[in-house]
Amino acid sequence: MRLLDLAVKNVRRNRLRTALTVAGVATAILAFVFLRTGITAWTSAADNAAADRLSTSHRVTFIMPLPKRYIEYFDGTRGRFEGVDAAAYAVWFGARHPVQTDQFFANFAVQAETFFDVYPDMIVPPQDLARWKETRRGAVVGQALAQKFGWKIGDIVRLEGTIYPGEWEFEVSAIYETKTRAVDRSQFVFHWDYLNESLPEPQRGQIGWIATRVSDPTRSAAIITAIDAKFEGFDVQTRTVTEKAAQTQFLAGFSALLRALDVVSVVILLIMMLILGNTIAMGVRERTREYGVLMALGFRPHHIAVFVVGEALAVGLLGGVLGLMLAYPIIQYGMGRWLEENMGAFFPYFRIPPHVSLVALGLSALLATIAAVLPALAASRLNATEALRRLG
Amino acid sequence: MTQEQAADETAGKATPAVPPIIECRGISRTFWRGKERLDVLDDLDLEIPTGAFEALMGPSGSGKSTLLNLIAGLDRVTRGTIKVAGHQLERMNDAALAKWRSQTVGFVFQHFNLIPVLTALENVELPLLLTRLGARERKERAAIALRVVGLEDRMHHLPTQLSGGQEQRVGIARSIVHDPKIIVADEPTGELDRQSADDVLNLLQRLNEEFGKTIVMVTHDPAAAERAQVQRKLDKGRLT
Repeated sequence: MRLLDLAVKNVRRNRLRTALTVAGVATAILAFVFLRTGITAWTSAADNAAADRLSTSHRVTFIMPLPKRYIEYFDGTRGRFEGVDAAAYAVWFGARHPVQTDQFFANFAVQAETFFDVYPDMIVPPQDLARWKETRRGAVVGQALAQKFGWKIGDIVRLEGTIYPGEWEFEVSAIYETKTRAVDRSQFVFHWDYLNESLPEPQRGQIGWIATRVSDPTRSAAIITAIDAKFEGFDVQTRTVTEKAAQTQFLAGFSALLRALDVVSVVILLIMMLILGNTIAMGVRERTREYGVLMALGFRPHHIAVFVVGEALAVGLLGGVLGLMLAYPIIQYGMGRWLEENMGAFFPYFRIPPHVSLVALGLSALLATIAAVLPALAASRLNATEALRRLG
Repeated sequence: MTQEQAADETAGKATPAVPPIIECRGISRTFWRGKERLDVLDDLDLEIPTGAFEALMGPSGSGKSTLLNLIAGLDRVTRGTIKVAGHQLERMNDAALAKWRSQTVGFVFQHFNLIPVLTALENVELPLLLTRLGARERKERAAIALRVVGLEDRMHHLPTQLSGGQEQRVGIARSIVHDPKIIVADEPTGELDRQSADDVLNLLQRLNEEFGKTIVMVTHDPAAAERAQVQRKLDKGRLT
């Protein structure tokens, strides 16, 4: 037996109380890991955004359209920007599933010829891509979206328009996979021409933005300046940003929410610390006479403090490990998968980052130690003769 | 030896055959309860020879346990000097006193005070954790101590699996495992039935006679006190 063994054995003394405390710590760690994973997943689109992609939209707001003819200044028809390898226009379609109307997924009408040149991280088998380009009402859907709605290549699917009212019919021509975490696996893209020809004349010829892929990301600033300068004298001026900036700008709208989640994750751990501190304090109070005995036997105040802190550490780590063991099946393989499939636009990659697990485990140990400081001080300052007189 | 003879010796009327292991000179112990002053021990002199087995008796509040705590180095005198096993306890700091206790004194408590999550063997091993002994030797010594008290077949039992008498014998094994010079016992039979009490007293007598341990025992029980070589009575903080 060693000194720390006694501390660890004390954990088993009041099994129900220990079990409840461990469950409390585990729940707190589970909630912490969930929130931190959520925050990481939410910001991962910006963190992992392609460095070589730019987005050009209306200078006032990205909701307002650009004239489709602007693409001609990118594709060589009227000119080309030096350093731009590929460009494609797109417009937000905003339709939904006619039955499962609450299942959000991003859907765009895109320039079929070049869209996947700009987005090489969306991987479409070449033969499927070729078929899609030839199919006027064809759509390319993300793997997660196809899985959720049970769509297969060749299926006819119908969406209910919201921005462009009516029932829209598509044929699933291809299913894409992704190779980066930034890309939503639940997108739905189809031919801009199909949308355009279905609209009344006044609404035709409009696009939402032009996405470009540049050959050298270090030259992005110069290219951005060149693009926006080009359209400076036009009726509609543009604003070009990197994909990362665009994502960050999008996230900025949710910054208060992200900050709130940050605070909540810390508050949860503080509550955990108080629960643990209370349990340890109760244990110390009950074992006052035992500490008196140990002191009589020659144990010093620092030994007593080690017993108390060791016990708290054992409970904290036990709860931390249990919380992490629960986190993987519940968060990683349960809720995470569901969120990726159903809210892929916000959480394209909802997996527990290894650093979050390590931080959770480290914090469960650290906070347990902090929680034990006051009870340990109280125990180590006991007077042996007084302690021996205590009952219980 | 009667209390009168012991008093005579203390007063210097007779020369002890062996040098004293405990020498208290004019010791007082005062406690404060709020503004109320409690003189629990008052200018007390006491000598206990090496190898003695003495009983301290007296009514509740007479200062028996306080005196025992002072002898064991658990408490400090307010006035006077106290020399135990060659050490002036009032001059030692807390750390030195704790180390001295761990080497010199064995404690036997009324309520046994075993750690409930440890087996008998682990409870007995506790004082040895403060030594430089290796795990194997600690276990061997603890097993020997349990053999001395006749509980070698209960060494892996938890305190809850032992009778009161057995628990106190484990307590005695814990008090001797580090081979202390002095054993202090505070009402060691107070929680036991007659038979168990006799077993414990036999054991203490044996430790005194066969192993030469100096034993100071506080008791209310006249039958227990009879087992000691000397019975001293305390009343209102003075030896009578």
